[in-house]
Amino acid sequence: MTRPASDPSAGGPAAAAPGAPRVLAVTAEGGALHNVRQWTAELAARIEWAPDLPQAARQLSKGGWDAVVVALGDRPEEDLTWWVDAVRAAPGTPRLIALADRPSMGLAIRAEQLGVPDLLSLPVRRDDLAQAFKRVRAVEVEAPLPLPDVGAEAAGQYALVGRSPEMLEVYKLIARVAPSTATVLIQGESGTGKEVVARAIHEQGPKASGPFVAVNCAAIPENLLESELFGHEKGAFTGAVTRKPGRFELARGGTLFLDEIADMSLALQAKILRAVQEREIERVGGTETLPVEVRLIAATNRDLKEAIAQSRFREDLYYRLAVVTIRLPRLADRGDDLLLLTAFFARQFAERYGKEIPRISDRALELLRAHPWVGNVRELRNVIERAVIVASESTILAEHLPDEVRAGETAVPETGARGLLTLAEVEARHIARVLAHTNGQIGAAAEVLGIHRNTLTRKMKEYGL
Amino acid sequence: MKSPLPPVRVEQALRLLPELEVLLPLRSLILAASRPEEQAQWASHGPYLTVGKRSVEPAELHQRAALVAEQVKEHVAALFASYVDALESQQRGEAGAAVDALRQAGAREERAGRLAQARAWFETALALAEGLQDRRPEIEALLALGELEESLGGHAEAARRHQRALALAEAEFHQAGAIAACLGLGDVALATGQWTGARAWFARGMRLAEAGGDLSATGQLHHRLAALARRTGDLAPAGEHLRRARECLEPLGEARAMAGVLNTQGQVDAGMGREAAAVAAYREALAWARRDERDAGLEAVIRLNLAELHFGAGRLLEAEEEARRAEQVAIAHGLNRRLVQSYLLMGRMRGRQHDETGFVFFEQAIQLCQTLERSPALEAQVYQEYGLFSTALGSRDEARAYLERAREIFESLGETFEVAKVREELQQVSA
Repeated sequence: MTRPASDPSAGGPAAAAPGAPRVLAVTAEGGALHNVRQWTAELAARIEWAPDLPQAARQLSKGGWDAVVVALGDRPEEDLTWWVDAVRAAPGTPRLIALADRPSMGLAIRAEQLGVPDLLSLPVRRDDLAQAFKRVRAVEVEAPLPLPDVGAEAAGQYALVGRSPEMLEVYKLIARVAPSTATVLIQGESGTGKEVVARAIHEQGPKASGPFVAVNCAAIPENLLESELFGHEKGAFTGAVTRKPGRFELARGGTLFLDEIADMSLALQAKILRAVQEREIERVGGTETLPVEVRLIAATNRDLKEAIAQSRFREDLYYRLAVVTIRLPRLADRGDDLLLLTAFFARQFAERYGKEIPRISDRALELLRAHPWVGNVRELRNVIERAVIVASESTILAEHLPDEVRAGETAVPETGARGLLTLAEVEARHIARVLAHTNGQIGAAAEVLGIHRNTLTRKMKEYGL
Repeated sequence: MKSPLPPVRVEQALRLLPELEVLLPLRSLILAASRPEEQAQWASHGPYLTVGKRSVEPAELHQRAALVAEQVKEHVAALFASYVDALESQQRGEAGAAVDALRQAGAREERAGRLAQARAWFETALALAEGLQDRRPEIEALLALGELEESLGGHAEAARRHQRALALAEAEFHQAGAIAACLGLGDVALATGQWTGARAWFARGMRLAEAGGDLSATGQLHHRLAALARRTGDLAPAGEHLRRARECLEPLGEARAMAGVLNTQGQVDAGMGREAAAVAAYREALAWARRDERDAGLEAVIRLNLAELHFGAGRLLEAEEEARRAEQVAIAHGLNRRLVQSYLLMGRMRGRQHDETGFVFFEQAIQLCQTLERSPALEAQVYQEYGLFSTALGSRDEARAYLERAREIFESLGETFEVAKVREELQQVSA
């Protein structure tokens, strides 16, 4: 952790040109930022000093900062997380410039994960710091673009939005399968909208007038999942304080959606299979047999065939569930659906928070397009909700996007002349970003980057990642 | 070279572990070494992730288990050494030093979170101290026992120990002991809702601290008076006490105490509807909690308060993030009580959103209370919140059953204040 020292010049801003970024530097014992004092005039920034951590927190809460420069201490990853949190919560969300003694690859990856593009090595070089300040200054004029009106094709919280060929295929399948009562298996990465599709099937199907009951099999403790699904009698086990109907019973006449079905134990899979085959269940601790009168839709983000090969999923259950299989595309493969979804969510959240946000800036849109969207539509929804909350104007700007998305700012081509990066710098940053998203897994990162893992390893060495 | 074994869910890992006292450090390690799965962040179960659904790497556990075993060995060796030290001191006729050695062993157990074991050491120390002419060791042992009982929720016993410590300290003109006893008695009164009593004890401590020029104690007492004023809704006087507490403590650089004061400042500002000021106070509190040696316990408390503030203001995204940070701090540092509290908050948040899957947080909290924290008072609180959650979701029978369970536990603990609250909630459910 930073060990700040007392400083007689603490708090005093250094003279700089008007319009220069206002920077808070947290001084560290031993003078990690000692040189910065000497360069103040040359850095063209208004630098103020915080003598210690609490003072820094106090000054940050007053707002008006463009950047915070801090030297990370003995536990740099932990420090970095702390500072990101502190800076993110500060008014105006200033940019964090973190300095570390010989930053490790782990720290570089962590910085990317946290959306801190300015991780500099100690002793800090004037040019590096000047570059970082230039990036702070390089807030360009962002051109507002109107968001398309997606109201006509989307209604309600669970509407399906998108016109990409991949989604058109999904719509066709939904239309084909919905009128029957066939069991459906929906497969797709996290956040691709499996529950939304399940609801759409339910709402367009013969059991639409019945309930739609969703169970998240991965969220419920293993020892409780059986009783959640099948119900229990009072006193069946410790904690069974009352008689409770299970989700199969609650979904009677409607649809039971079993999400993340691959997370179920083999023992429970056998019970589900029995329920599906024999169309009857018993409550835990009960003797009465209850009929199963539900349409079953299951979903998973895992490869069930691989799970079968590893004996973690029952093959017979798989074939019972996968009567019809719908595969959902990744957001990255849906082209301009990103814009439609952005517009849809912006409108949805603007309504919720009593705002009107009909536009997005070109820069913000570029950043959204450049983001890898590991969390797919769910991640985009989250990002737009935050943007709507923090936006004070009627346009979503780059600064309204979270750091993880803005971390790609340097990868997005600059239109101004200042703060340009070399091709090697862009490549190094992009590799670090991809590594961050694959949690440092070189094989997976090489796949995303479309290069051989040996090439990636060589480049990582070259760029000191 | 063998390829590493795949990660295993905490709930599965714990199923293999018998519930033996000696294995508690291993149980804690399993939790502390756990991480959310890579895909969990954006998976549909992500918002419902609890510690049981995190994963541990067997290889990491293998490595860290050896370290934990070493720490356990060191802990036990230190206890043995304290005992031998006490025995030798006694044989040399230095009974005061023997009491000190026993008390230090108790303090070591207390720091390790082994409160029942700490009590046994303190009681042994007290029994020895009671036979001495010099009453100071007895005062110290009584104060240690008083504080421990209070943290275990044994208010009556804590009060009895502190009363005795105060009587002895006053007779012996042991100023610091008397102030500490007044603080302890005030804390007991505060915890049991006896506001007048609390005020009287803190005021008495304050007179002693001011007369002795003890700036640290004066600051702490102002902080306590502020906490009391906040509880009684007198927010302006609370603010004034906090200002004075800061005046006393900031020049002393007492980081932990300052963090506590700013945490209360955040609560007071929140109570006055000054949200921005409350956030700033909590942020500064976090900075103080981290300034010297990181105080993870205090950090978790502050983060929970910050989350509560966001929750109260309807900023659910921020509330969730902060509660998750508190959860992470609690898991990494084995702060089971705070972990339970973070799940209670997350469960309440889901309750407000009428999200029935939120029950997983209460179930996890109950399990933690029964296996790790072993605090009936906290378990009762979980049942109480579970009942309110069920009420919000319209499950009246379940709500009633959980509230009844909470009432039973609170009654068995003699928590009359809490029993009255639960009875009121039961009446509302039945109405």
